[in-house]
Amino acid sequence: MFKRRKSLALAAAATSAVLVASGCSGGGGGEDEGGSKEVTWVINSLPGAWQATSLAGGSVYVIQMLSGILPYTGQWQPDATYEYNMDVLAEEPTLVNEDPDEGPFEWSITLADDAVWSDGEPMTGEDLRVTWMLGTNPEEGYCAGCDPRASTSNDKVESVEVDGKTATFQLKEGLADPEWMGLFDAHSQSGGFYPAHLAEENGWDVDNPDELGEFYAWLHAERPEWSGGPFQIVDGDLENEVVKERNPNWWGEEAPLDRITMPYNTDEGTFVNAFVNGEIDGANPADYSEDVILQLEDVANAEVTVAEGATWEHIDINLNNEQLADVELRRAIFTAIDRDDIANRNFGAGYPDYELKNNHVFGGDSPYYVDHFEGESQGTGDIDEATSILEDAGYELDGDTLTLDGEEIGPFRLRSTDSTVRNTSVQLIQSQLAEIGITANIEMTDDLGGMLSEKEYDIVQFGWSGSPYFTGNANQFWHSESGSNFGGYSNDEVDELAEKAINASDLDSAAEFTNEAMEIIVPEAYVLPIMAEPNYFFANSDRLVNVHDNLQSSYRATYNIGEWDIAG
Amino acid sequence: MLVYTVRRIIGAIPVLILASILTFVMIDVSGDPLAEVRMAQPPPSPEVLQQAEERLYLDRSMPERYWLWVTGIGGNGDIGLLQGEFGPSTQGPQYDIGSNIAERLWTTLRLIGAAMVFALGLAIISGVISALRQYSKLDYTLTFVGFLALAMPTFWFAGIMQAAGVKFNQLVGEQVFATIGDGRFRAQGEPLWDQFLNAFAHMALPTIVLMLISFASWSRYQRTSMLEVMNSDYVRLARAKGLRNHTVIRRHALRTALIPLTTVVAIGIAGIIDGAILTEVVFQWRGLGDFFITAVDNNDSYALMGWLLLSGVVVILANLIADLLYAVLDPRIRYE
Repeated sequence: MFKRRKSLALAAAATSAVLVASGCSGGGGGEDEGGSKEVTWVINSLPGAWQATSLAGGSVYVIQMLSGILPYTGQWQPDATYEYNMDVLAEEPTLVNEDPDEGPFEWSITLADDAVWSDGEPMTGEDLRVTWMLGTNPEEGYCAGCDPRASTSNDKVESVEVDGKTATFQLKEGLADPEWMGLFDAHSQSGGFYPAHLAEENGWDVDNPDELGEFYAWLHAERPEWSGGPFQIVDGDLENEVVKERNPNWWGEEAPLDRITMPYNTDEGTFVNAFVNGEIDGANPADYSEDVILQLEDVANAEVTVAEGATWEHIDINLNNEQLADVELRRAIFTAIDRDDIANRNFGAGYPDYELKNNHVFGGDSPYYVDHFEGESQGTGDIDEATSILEDAGYELDGDTLTLDGEEIGPFRLRSTDSTVRNTSVQLIQSQLAEIGITANIEMTDDLGGMLSEKEYDIVQFGWSGSPYFTGNANQFWHSESGSNFGGYSNDEVDELAEKAINASDLDSAAEFTNEAMEIIVPEAYVLPIMAEPNYFFANSDRLVNVHDNLQSSYRATYNIGEWDIAG
Repeated sequence: MLVYTVRRIIGAIPVLILASILTFVMIDVSGDPLAEVRMAQPPPSPEVLQQAEERLYLDRSMPERYWLWVTGIGGNGDIGLLQGEFGPSTQGPQYDIGSNIAERLWTTLRLIGAAMVFALGLAIISGVISALRQYSKLDYTLTFVGFLALAMPTFWFAGIMQAAGVKFNQLVGEQVFATIGDGRFRAQGEPLWDQFLNAFAHMALPTIVLMLISFASWSRYQRTSMLEVMNSDYVRLARAKGLRNHTVIRRHALRTALIPLTTVVAIGIAGIIDGAILTEVVFQWRGLGDFFITAVDNNDSYALMGWLLLSGVVVILANLIADLLYAVLDPRIRYE
């Protein structure tokens, strides 16, 4: 008996010693050690590559991982205004010619004299030219094997002239680009621009497509030792985290923080415990999670904000279905759907201030916002109005079943991916359509892209992601030749407006064309927007200063990482 | 024994081939690996998509792709198990499936290794104690703990352990336990003791979760097995010969009672890998479990095939080791 007690006591003592000793070590991230200012900020998924131009790297997570590293020419601010990055630029970019009828659409960008990379090499117009070439479609012949995720803007460029710190861009004949200022900004496909001199240092000739392709692969595969921002990456990988420290050659105002650790965390369920435990200081997750929001709101030192994000949910109808080709039936279906009920059930608890989306492209805070659903019955859940539309169009109820000329209407395939939000939504839609005599059979899918491109749906709910840059949206959503116009909508007038929007010479004109297209689309009852999915942000309000969300930018809260500071 | 081992390994090859064909077909029909890319906004150009299809060999038929995956003949040098290449990944040209599996295997082994050793030790001790003190309060307590651990879903139990770790930290006023990550970058360059403490902080909670999941069933098996042996004739004979109880249990009963557990543990290795998937996700360890989830999320066919192949090899090897251990534990078994 004595021996057993002695063993137990020894085990307990050893455990206690380890626990106490490890407690003395100071624990995980988020703690200041030796007076240094350190922050641990979560990135909500694994970045696919070290740069964001490629298909694999094209995500907000890569952009956020590179915050404070990649230099860019400007970005949209939280209040939806655009601000040039005057640390990097010598002056605001100049539009030399905005009328393609009078010559090539042309602009120039001049970088600041003191702008240098972390190795001391000056930033030049050549950096912009090479970044442009890296982001072009391989068919353009500049970069062999490159797989840029969104090369439309880059492919419009005919030529780039470099003169020291200045690069002048000319578009192809007859083309204009209302988003010209965004080619190298925080929202571009690269999220900024790359150091061209590193290609030469590694022995690659950037004017040789094969060698530029090698540079492209190298940029995406290798952890950047270089930086053109207030921080530089000193440690990390693509699986666990990156660690950043100040860039000693940063010429702008010195960043207040000494060190930022960015762990990749794919499980939002862990946020609350990790935050309370002091392992993380905050995050700006990509997805809405009511549970996490409600739990965080109960944590004393957590500042939580919830607001409309970039992704908006909508219900689309497949016009290839013969019955659904009738616009009156579509109008009745959209009228029977109660958007407010869907939004409230999904987001009411965590975000009671939600607003329904009444413009497919512009958010309520955009200067171009126009309410296209004012006076519309679509989305109201007004069953009487829906029934009236159907009766006027000759539809009849046979018991509980809607018929036209004795033929049953439906049943329709109601599809979506199996997320919590969409699951709730399609169930509500199913019951709302049942009230007008339409049977909708819910079918979930894991392969949204395949299902949409194969047109294996009658009614579908999915999401598009918006951006302050909008000029290509109408073209992508509704142009009869767009691969993303899944439901097969076709209207010559809309096609023309969409083409005008993408080739307008300024944003105001592009917005006007886009709104005109929406005026035509809405009565056609083809796409019913529901609402923008809310995004949330949380941060340790006791520790952090100058940290807030920017829902206009892919960088989110890290958009001003160089200004983050520790309280006190 | 050597001949037997070689024969078993050769016999496992057709099993692996059949399993790989089945899983390849199932993964292949489960969805388009480029579905997410096609849905991107704005969408990539058709040329870039075609290039991606060619890189992933999606322009070839399914049988061709399987043949390529095995042999690499006709490929671009990035595919072919026989050439040591696992194939291209949907996660980009820079993502090397083979080196990722190797790196993550080490991470998972750290987690599983510690959990298995502790689980096995605890299971044997508690199983033996429960058997020797059958129907005592201690037996009932251990049985209750065992069934409780068996009944708890891994992800839920892991969440509870995280919350408990946080509470403990708050209680002692220090961060003894970490709830996320394996902390690999946190103590680099620090003294060895600090590295140990960092590893302990990050390993403790996930190890306890994985350990208890396995311990629960193994201790039940050990108890039953021990009870059966204790009531056997040769144990009674040993006692009748006047051997001390301690000697009877340790040298005669326990050794025999371990044989069924050997089988259960070997089969349980597959189970513990499954358990590791959830545990790694909840504790954000970048091991093979997380590799599997990431591959599923990205429709990464060749990465999934690599993972499944490795799992298959592990299970076959574990069963082989179990068979070989029989001979060590039971003198009546000889592989000749």
